[in-house]
Amino acid sequence: MKKVVDVSIPIGPIHPCFKEPCRIKCETSGERVLTTEVELGYVKKGIEKIMVGRPWQETIFLAERVCGICSVVHNTAIVEALEEISGITVPRRAQILRIILNELDRIQSHLLANYSYCYTIEHETLAMYLLNLRETSMDAIEMMTGTRIMTAYVVPGGVREDLSDKNAAGILEATYTLETELKRFVKMFETGPMIALRSKGIGVLSVEDALASGVVGPTARANGLPRDAREPDPLYHELGWHMILRTESDNFARIMLRFQELFQSINIIRNGLAALEPGKIRNGGTMKAGKVKHTVEAPRGALTYDIEIDSAGQVVSVSIQTPSIPNIEVASHAMMKNLASIADVTSTFISADPCIACAER
Amino acid sequence: MTVFSYISEFLRPSWIKTFFTVKTPPLVSPPYFRNFPTLTGKECTHCLTCKMICPSPGAIDVIQTAGVWNPQIIQGHCVRCGYCVEACPEGVLTSGDLLARKKEQGLIFTHEYIIKIDTDKCMGCGNCTTACPVNREIDPQIGAGGTSFSDKVLIRVEHGKNTVLHNELCKGCKTCMETCPNGAIHVIRNVVALQEEK
Amino acid sequence: MTVLQKLKNAVRKRSIHVCYVNTGSCNGCDIEILACLAPKYDIEQYGIYVHNNPREADVILVTGGMSAQWLDKLPDLWDRVPEPKAVVTIGNCPISGCVFNRPGKLINPPVSKYIPVTAAVPGCPPRPSEIISAILGAADILFKDYEIHQTEKKGGSHK
Repeated sequence: MKKVVDVSIPIGPIHPCFKEPCRIKCETSGERVLTTEVELGYVKKGIEKIMVGRPWQETIFLAERVCGICSVVHNTAIVEALEEISGITVPRRAQILRIILNELDRIQSHLLANYSYCYTIEHETLAMYLLNLRETSMDAIEMMTGTRIMTAYVVPGGVREDLSDKNAAGILEATYTLETELKRFVKMFETGPMIALRSKGIGVLSVEDALASGVVGPTARANGLPRDAREPDPLYHELGWHMILRTESDNFARIMLRFQELFQSINIIRNGLAALEPGKIRNGGTMKAGKVKHTVEAPRGALTYDIEIDSAGQVVSVSIQTPSIPNIEVASHAMMKNLASIADVTSTFISADPCIACAER
Repeated sequence: MTVFSYISEFLRPSWIKTFFTVKTPPLVSPPYFRNFPTLTGKECTHCLTCKMICPSPGAIDVIQTAGVWNPQIIQGHCVRCGYCVEACPEGVLTSGDLLARKKEQGLIFTHEYIIKIDTDKCMGCGNCTTACPVNREIDPQIGAGGTSFSDKVLIRVEHGKNTVLHNELCKGCKTCMETCPNGAIHVIRNVVALQEEK
Repeated sequence: MTVLQKLKNAVRKRSIHVCYVNTGSCNGCDIEILACLAPKYDIEQYGIYVHNNPREADVILVTGGMSAQWLDKLPDLWDRVPEPKAVVTIGNCPISGCVFNRPGKLINPPVSKYIPVTAAVPGCPPRPSEIISAILGAADILFKDYEIHQTEKKGGSHK
């Protein structure tokens, strides 16, 4: 009778599939994985402590550099929180421009998440196709603001620059390129037999675990839970947004949900460009003292800024709640239990789209 | 069915064209990229607005070479945000498309100074009042303890405590902060982003 | 010996294996390094492979200011990389700490205090075209006459 050996295997900080350092310790029995534990703490910078006592024009740059993938939405969240405290209104043209940039950022973030997943299941062709398509959306962001990442485009009272007609035509053409190429890639993903073998039925999240843990974002919507922070906003409904849900909650459902959200973002950008009218882009306004808790929908889930400022505009205390904090906990406790083999650990972890820099800030 | 779909991937005309006419990718940045700021040649007046709005410590400094003032950017510290290009009133710096769009759309950054006094720490000694250069210009006969008969001064001592009368006259030199023995007074710079009417 | 040295120089500037280490960055520079792998800014056509294994790396790419956890681990990793080796830092954080260099921080810039740095690319983050231009410009001189410099450093003479 052969022995079945119990070993504990670390999947270490430096790994070909991980972009950021984190350690996953797996307890195995033979080839079957029993439980896992995620260890973080390699990139902690102490951003919330640095922000105390700084005026708004420096706090915006610190908030943007919490995470480099979703930098636009952190910028939007802190500026909207400051505007809510001080009672500053934003002109309509600036609101639509903010939504267009947020949706372009969502497109590039979802394409990066799907590229990561295809790389872990060793389908390098589709991964490189998606990464190349991401360059089209980065060129559109560069046309609109001047840089690719860390744009600093949103300021209290409006946006930084206006969109000229030539650039608007360039962005519209980019959406047509994105849509035709995406249809080919989604068909490849849906009908590939090897992809289905490694994704369907793996990493299933049960409904009790999802409700008990507070999971947010596409990971929750692939379970059937209707959680999206864009719902109370009337301008999003006007530009054609509605909630997208799926019911089977394995790796395949999460990736397909991101593809469906991509098509919806392209639609919102086209409606936004058609609804633009000439007008002012900045309203100005001074800071007042107060305290607020503001929630925005990042590409990975709901992002909350709990911020208090004094009468001169300096920060007194701040607390940032990013969507990756509950998502990583759920991935390590509930999704990766009783997996069939060790090779599925990285692909299940990446399909929940973790952003370690957001979780540790 | 999947074999035919793989073969049809290779027979697309766009794939055939790019396969046989391969080009190296461009290694230059587009002209509208927001690069490190460079000098335009306009005259710098040493007003230090760019230095005070810069969010990154140690990135910009205004130095004098051969009798001419010019801002100098240190590349390891600068984050290429473009605030100094937008805030300069003379247009001495430029970066990508930013200076042209600023003139076309009338984008400006205005600032004001706010004085905050911590009443628990203030002991009413009057050091800040006598040191303030704006006070000295308005009322040359200001008392040694910080008292004054004029109502137009910026700050004066009344009933044993320091009170600020006209905050909008403050120029932001921060001399009062240096002369206070308790660290009770602070001068804070508040920036607003505005668009002028054409 | 000189023919052998010329052969080594010619081979070493055409095939470089890279491992990247993230010691506390915000991910902006890491995503721009990944964008270099995309077919638009193809970096593999110049012979540079990103394999992410320190034991078979020639060049280590470092991003981020040093956070507290990496203070003892990065010099340990540097000792395990086989010779010839070099370090290229990318971004503003390893040079000066960028916007995080304020009171209350938990990072310890610059990285050159802990391991010897050969080249640095500034920017927050640098564009992929800037990264590739910098690496191509440095690839000629990184490992040129490596054995001669090593024996000169030790004080011996080379044949």
